[in-house]
Amino acid sequence: MPQILLIEDDAHVREGLEIALRHLGHEVRARGDGETGIAAVQESEPDVVVLDVMLPGADGFEVCRRLRGFSNVPIVMLTARSDDMDVVAGLEAGADDYLAKPVRPRVLEAKLKALLRRAAPTMPPGGPLVFGDLVVDRGSLIVTKAGRHLDLTRMELRLLLELAGNPGLVLSRQQLLASVWDQDYLGDSRLVDACVQRLRAKIEDIPAEPRLLRTVRGFGYRFGP
Amino acid sequence: MIVGPGSLQRRLLLGFVGIALVTAIVAAAATITGFLVVANQHPIGANRYARRIIAWLPLNPSTRQVELTLVVIGIVLITIAVNTALSIGQRVLRPVGELADAADRMAAGDLGVRLDPQGHDEIADVGRSFNVMAQSLEASVHTLQHMETTARRFAADVSHELRTPLAAMTAVTDVLSAHTPGMNAEAARATDLVVREIGHLDRLVSDLIEMSRFDAGTALLDAELVDVRVAITTSLEVRGWGDDVHVDVERGLRAHLDLRRFDVILANLVGNAVKYGSPPITVTARNGLVIEVTDHGPGIPEEALPHLFERFYKADAARARSDGSGLGLAIALENARLHGGDLQAGNRPDAGAVFRLTLPGNSVVRPIARTPPTTC
Repeated sequence: MPQILLIEDDAHVREGLEIALRHLGHEVRARGDGETGIAAVQESEPDVVVLDVMLPGADGFEVCRRLRGFSNVPIVMLTARSDDMDVVAGLEAGADDYLAKPVRPRVLEAKLKALLRRAAPTMPPGGPLVFGDLVVDRGSLIVTKAGRHLDLTRMELRLLLELAGNPGLVLSRQQLLASVWDQDYLGDSRLVDACVQRLRAKIEDIPAEPRLLRTVRGFGYRFGP
Repeated sequence: MIVGPGSLQRRLLLGFVGIALVTAIVAAAATITGFLVVANQHPIGANRYARRIIAWLPLNPSTRQVELTLVVIGIVLITIAVNTALSIGQRVLRPVGELADAADRMAAGDLGVRLDPQGHDEIADVGRSFNVMAQSLEASVHTLQHMETTARRFAADVSHELRTPLAAMTAVTDVLSAHTPGMNAEAARATDLVVREIGHLDRLVSDLIEMSRFDAGTALLDAELVDVRVAITTSLEVRGWGDDVHVDVERGLRAHLDLRRFDVILANLVGNAVKYGSPPITVTARNGLVIEVTDHGPGIPEEALPHLFERFYKADAARARSDGSGLGLAIALENARLHGGDLQAGNRPDAGAVFRLTLPGNSVVRPIARTPPTTC
């Protein structure tokens, strides 16, 4: 049974989401603020964290950054305002996906399913992919750069496997949304952009001047030297 | 006609005197020049006055030097004359020009523009009146803007406040629905109604928040190059309209669109056609980019046309409450504008309504164009 940690300050929303998630067959732990939420992750890492942006004390972005400091657990942000600014800030803070309130349980369930999916199950394990000093081992799902092990989140790893598995090909943001995020045609392509930024910070020598994961303006992204 | 002892008159008088003076100087210069040249050409002539003048001038009286000197004196005098005339003219006209500029800037929206009137003449008075008017206009506009901002912020705040209790309720609607089969008929009906109305409230609040984002200017465009035909058909299929709507779009036509926002526009237009029009419903796209949604229903009442894109406008009072929020077309229009385009409604000459979405031409990529991808 997948374990969900819900961090939401409003008692009624928390209760509502708890009921809905239990109804969908998840095991739910609920916390009312960022500090106890972070402590709950440290205590035992859940399968997914559902994190509200508007929290008393440390807000959702701050909590997200702090969680990313020690954990790669998948994080879904609940943006109360669903302002474009909030969405971008949440993704930059390290969230894997976001959802605007009020949350429709079926939409939340679809997002959770995508996040809970194992890394690239459709990808046939092949030999390690080598790009300069970057090595992507598709069997063990271990990525190393200059011999050093890289700590990637599940979505970052899946994006890397998808891109590195198709070297030289331009993959559009829509294609990546479908293959990596399981999202339909109308998914938010900023998920891809934000994940690309985070991945670049880990795999590129100079993230601002990417040599491996390149933007093909107006078309998408291409992997390869 | 004499209008008071103001200094516009004095300015004009000064101008005339200046012009007269300058003319006199030029005339005098010309006369003297002519005189001297003539005298020079007849050095033995009886004109001793000319000789005296030449002797008086600090010149070596060789003919060539005298001519040259006279030409230089002439040029200097003419230059002085022209400059004097220009500066007098400017002194008269400058305040009028400044006033005109200030009025133009104000018309262009710069309400902070002020004049710096000098002196106590009529033009300075007009300048001061202009400043008083500008100040009071600026104050009124600020008050109005403040009121509007407050009203909009209130609407946005209300929507956000509604969202939290709504979030709690929306979360459990599926649980409620799942249990209706076990309830008695009355409880099941009540539950269905609550679930349905929560859904309605959810759409309304979402649309209100979307609208407030446009009002606050925080809505952003996230455009990318997409296949227009695929974008349209996907949007229709997602809503189960794939079979009811005829799509006539050139294959391979691509444009820079924000897919989510484009979907909102199209879903709204086609949704209205499905609800209020009659089949056949057609979506066409031609280069430009112009996208039209047409139906064969009764069309839009003439008196409703000017108000169609207003918030909460209901064309038919009897149909006071529908599934929609009443903000659909207003949001569609804002989304079109965010793309730099426009949205218009009208009736076809034969029958039925037509909605035309026009997007800027630079968003379109011709199907044949195959530019090599540029990397960055």
